[in-house]
Amino acid sequence: MAFIDARTLPEATEIEADLVIIGGGMAGIAIAKQWIASGKSVAILESGGREMDMEIQALYAGGGVMRAPGNPDRNIDDYLIQSRVRRYGGSGNVWGGKCVPLDEADFAPRAWIDRSGWPVTRAEMQPFYDRACDLLQIPRFDRDWDSNPDAARPPLAIGDDFFAAPRVFTALSGEVDRPRFDAWCNAFVEGADNIRVYLHANVTAIRLHRNGRQVEALGVACLNGRRHTARGRAYVLATGGIENVRLLLASGGIGNHGDLLGRCFMGHVTFGVYENADGLNTMLCVSDGQNMSLYTNNSRDIAHCVIASTLEGQRRFGAGNFTTTLFDSETAPPPEDAAVLALASQLDAGGASARRHFCFFMSEHLPNLESRLMLAPEHTDALGTPRVFLDWVYSERDLDSLERSIAALGDALGAAGKGRIRWPVDRSSLLSILSMSRHHIGMTRMHRDPEHGVVDENCRVHGVRNLYIAGTSVFPTSGIANPTLTLTALCLRLSDHLKRQMGVRA
Amino acid sequence: MSLNKRDVLRALAALTAGAAFPATAQTAAPDLSAGRAIGAAYRAANPAVDFTALRRELLPRGFSSDAAAQLRQRVAADFRAARVFMFKGWRLSETEARLFALLT
Repeated sequence: MAFIDARTLPEATEIEADLVIIGGGMAGIAIAKQWIASGKSVAILESGGREMDMEIQALYAGGGVMRAPGNPDRNIDDYLIQSRVRRYGGSGNVWGGKCVPLDEADFAPRAWIDRSGWPVTRAEMQPFYDRACDLLQIPRFDRDWDSNPDAARPPLAIGDDFFAAPRVFTALSGEVDRPRFDAWCNAFVEGADNIRVYLHANVTAIRLHRNGRQVEALGVACLNGRRHTARGRAYVLATGGIENVRLLLASGGIGNHGDLLGRCFMGHVTFGVYENADGLNTMLCVSDGQNMSLYTNNSRDIAHCVIASTLEGQRRFGAGNFTTTLFDSETAPPPEDAAVLALASQLDAGGASARRHFCFFMSEHLPNLESRLMLAPEHTDALGTPRVFLDWVYSERDLDSLERSIAALGDALGAAGKGRIRWPVDRSSLLSILSMSRHHIGMTRMHRDPEHGVVDENCRVHGVRNLYIAGTSVFPTSGIANPTLTLTALCLRLSDHLKRQMGVRA
Repeated sequence: MSLNKRDVLRALAALTAGAAFPATAQTAAPDLSAGRAIGAAYRAANPAVDFTALRRELLPRGFSSDAAAQLRQRVAADFRAARVFMFKGWRLSETEARLFALLT
């Protein structure tokens, strides 16, 4: 029986497998799928069941605040429970399915950004991105996809500081195609004799051997009171960007030799206003009337692009990564917008049909030690595990980076005679207008040097020979890209490494 | 040849009146009063500017295709040098803002 309800196992059951994966979300499933017919046994320990259960979801509850210089603090207590799903399939049950690789710039060391640079390059990641695309059933991304093969949907030509960065959607999401997603999550388990999924199995403790250099066992708890133990040759922690950190902290701070565990939290947010109290919008006007469907047609069956800054652009602006996402505007412009558009179109293009588009901006959240997750030991969940508090912090550098990038985009559009930009938001109101994505990045960051990272280049926790981490928490920088494709690619890379370690032929 | 204010208004009207908009999304004709509001904001922010001299500088020989081409170059140069004027979030070149200012 491939799926096992841990609540029904006899008290103090010993769960054993060669590879123990903690968490049955997108990351854990992506790894487990690589071990079919491997000759090694695999156990996935998943907190949730196969349906949503609010008692289980409540294990995620915590507190949080978002802070930025010059802005009133923003309470984000609800974010901890609303931005993830504690159920088999994880947040894959609700994600939108948007897939995009990180840019070359995201992997590069950038002298103007502290703690930037990955121990792996974009080129080295390409074969894993390709396999991740296959796994998620989407077309592969070319490594340097910066031109559009569709002549009818031309990219915006505004110089070397910006490029058209593509996005595609997978249908492998519980929100998009439930039967297909369920089949993706379940069929491989039901057809494999070496893979077992333990549902309702909450890992509450990672127990190290007394030498402190290897995991000896996992403490497993069920909400009905049963307690079990899991043992393996190797362990992969794949419970999401927040829970990965929570479990390591709650287990005594495993991997925290450099005081980096839980630090450098990075999130993705969008900045935009649409008919705000003053009737203002975030807009990009295309003064020569160019067909912008490459950017605005974001239907699920066709690639669409955002306007993204290049590595060279980021260097010139002294900024992090940055994107602009466009939408069609179906309303007539108010008079002042019309005046701006009229003059711009006449000056740029002899009076061509100017178009205006609503837009939002995204700016890379830069690594910042003060942006962090902490245990709140005075509050525990139903299993006795401390709850967490997320202190989501932006620095002046983040705000500068956003504003410089918007200004640079406006100047590039104007200099190229292509358009104008509107950003009617004061710096002091940024926190109040932003919208949060459900991406939790960076708190077990990857670095070759244990003083600068929690995991090494193979995603192994520094100093612990058989404990690995999968998911967005290992990203050293956050980029802008929706992270699921990258975390899947990293999972495939990690799986290959584990196979080599365990003598499994690839 | 120097222009009087009526000439400038005519020139700006010519600059803007030719602009066409997709019927579904945009307005049919620009509203000069809105342009004047932008211009008034520029004047308020730049009280020392001599707008009579500016009029001669921007449109020294009246409005023509040559003048439009020169204005285009000035606008592009403004953006390359980040010489901009912000109006309710719109990032305009200084030349554009000055043209609007000549409407007032």
